[in-house]
Amino acid sequence: MNERTNQLGNIYVSPRAIATIASQSTIESYGVVGLAAKNLAEGLAQVLVKDPTLGIEVRFEGDSLQIDLYIIVEYGVRIKSVANSVQDNVRYAIEKAIGLTVNRVDVHVRGLRISNTD
Amino acid sequence: MSDFDFPATMDGRQLANEELLDGQGLKALIEAGMTWLKTNQQTVNALNVFPVPDGDTGTNMLLTIQAAYIEIAKSGEKNIGKMAHAIAQGALMGARGNSGVILSQLFRGFARSLDSFDTMDAARLIKALAEARNTAYKGVVRPVEGTILTVAKDIALAAETSLAITDDMNIILERIVAAADESVKHTPELLPILKQAGVVDSGGKGLFYILEGMLRYLKGLPLETALTTVQPLSAVSVGETIESIEPGQDYEVVIDFRPTQPLNFEIFYSDLSEMGTSIQVGEGEGMYRMHIHVPTEKRYQPIDYTMGLGTITKVSIENLVAQMENQGSTQPPKLQLTAVEPGQIAVVAISPGIGISRIFASLGAAAIVEGGQTMNPSTEEILHAVENLLTDKVIVLPDNKNIILAAQTAASMTVKKVIIVPSKSVPQGLSAMLRLDPNGDFDGVVKEMTQALGDVETGEVTIATRSVEINGVNVKEGEVIALHNGLVVNSASNLEDACLGLLEKAHTEDHERITLFYGDNISKNEVNTIVDRIRAAYPHHEIELHEGDQPHYQFIIAIE
Repeated sequence: MNERTNQLGNIYVSPRAIATIASQSTIESYGVVGLAAKNLAEGLAQVLVKDPTLGIEVRFEGDSLQIDLYIIVEYGVRIKSVANSVQDNVRYAIEKAIGLTVNRVDVHVRGLRISNTD
Repeated sequence: MSDFDFPATMDGRQLANEELLDGQGLKALIEAGMTWLKTNQQTVNALNVFPVPDGDTGTNMLLTIQAAYIEIAKSGEKNIGKMAHAIAQGALMGARGNSGVILSQLFRGFARSLDSFDTMDAARLIKALAEARNTAYKGVVRPVEGTILTVAKDIALAAETSLAITDDMNIILERIVAAADESVKHTPELLPILKQAGVVDSGGKGLFYILEGMLRYLKGLPLETALTTVQPLSAVSVGETIESIEPGQDYEVVIDFRPTQPLNFEIFYSDLSEMGTSIQVGEGEGMYRMHIHVPTEKRYQPIDYTMGLGTITKVSIENLVAQMENQGSTQPPKLQLTAVEPGQIAVVAISPGIGISRIFASLGAAAIVEGGQTMNPSTEEILHAVENLLTDKVIVLPDNKNIILAAQTAASMTVKKVIIVPSKSVPQGLSAMLRLDPNGDFDGVVKEMTQALGDVETGEVTIATRSVEINGVNVKEGEVIALHNGLVVNSASNLEDACLGLLEKAHTEDHERITLFYGDNISKNEVNTIVDRIRAAYPHHEIELHEGDQPHYQFIIAIE
């Protein structure tokens, strides 16, 4: 349902636009240190993201909006909490900005970055 | 973690001059910080607007530091490095939410810096705080300033500059707490969303309470009673509706003011409590709003008193007694809401008018939240309705497309199982309502109700507030416009023509029944004339008429 209609006409929101919002809020989430290409062949985590859809997959299945995030997490944080926060942040950011309902956010932790050893 | 018993009242102790902190000393400080955070947990929760306004920052931080404390509760470890690592480990395992994860990272950096030490002196404390900051900042690609991270940074800086002045850890901690307070107050300048909401950052405030708790412990101050309950400014409102008033609550006085000097809450509260009851204080950007109920003879006292503290910008006084009497005489008959039992499915319906509320109630709604076009209910109102039900299976009917999002946000903020059946109009909501089976299988009932949304066509008739061309229909200001399923389909100079035009566009001839809900802006006479015309045009249809009492729309029409 990336198409909505009001009295003035139709509004289309592309998956790419949604991915950009998802990307921004993912990268601002605490514990996330990078997005990873979904395809492992290109799989180096890139911290400086040029393509706004890197590591983000947006799918419409019928009326349902589903998002997959492929992230790199800082070593030594509680991964479950980070993933939960990312889900919340991304869903909230998209619903707030576009008003679309996000039905699913799947987080794939593709790797850990070790910047300190304890 | 409700099975966790909070330690009994702690006795504070000042660190003796030149005294070094060992593992047990650190344990006591963590316990103090945790206890003080628990005392102020709700204040922190109330500030939570970023990144997701779900009001759980205080709770998450508390659960995190509790997990850290449980890890060390029985430990007699004297070595501070080992103790700090145990704390960090506990916090890591129990980290909850954004702020909790950041807190665990702060502990982790702090611990790493103390690695091989038995005790901690001022110089090591400063290094440990710097390492805590560095570690926390490493955990995010794009740190957002104006959050707990900023406060951690300012704390480390304050500690560093303090070392030039003193090596007394009591004084350093005092300076750290002052810096944290300043930093928290500054957060709205760095993060605009905080400024808009008139709050300071919740995570930063939580960190402040942990540190302040440590300081209070060293000073021997109590940790179990909150000084005040300060809420965001917007939470303290003028002219609240109250159920009952007690003697001595004749007037409600609300004052906005800007104190010339920092407000001492303890004194402020105790002075106010001599004048009246129901004291509330809100804070935002140096502005304060106080709310109090006072007896008649003292109704000007709060004003005189506040004037002595600073500049008053606004005063509102309401006579509660008169308000109550007024309410008593004009209050419409109470809604007969359906009582639900635990385990049953309950429905919360959003309704734009009292008449429609009554219909929802008669169909079995367990709670009604007022709201509709141009009067969206807040997430809190919906959440409140959901939380007040005795069951944990709740269906929400937004009955307006603009309210669906607020309902979803509310659903995400509760542990209850809440499903939004996305009704975009009152007729859709009522249609779904007919399929409710309170004792049915939850998913099955949701499915049934969702399917029912498509069973009905929605018509709405209202007056255009400005001239515009929409949907190929030319509308002049003051003309009557008709909407079919949310789209403008025709405009006319009078209500009758608009209604008939609408029914035509909605293919009423293919349906059997027309139900009209008339608004609060149309007379009974007009309604009857129009309904007669509709009867004449559709003689074989079943036509029902109900008082809807909704604002804006002269008619909401269900065609099925």
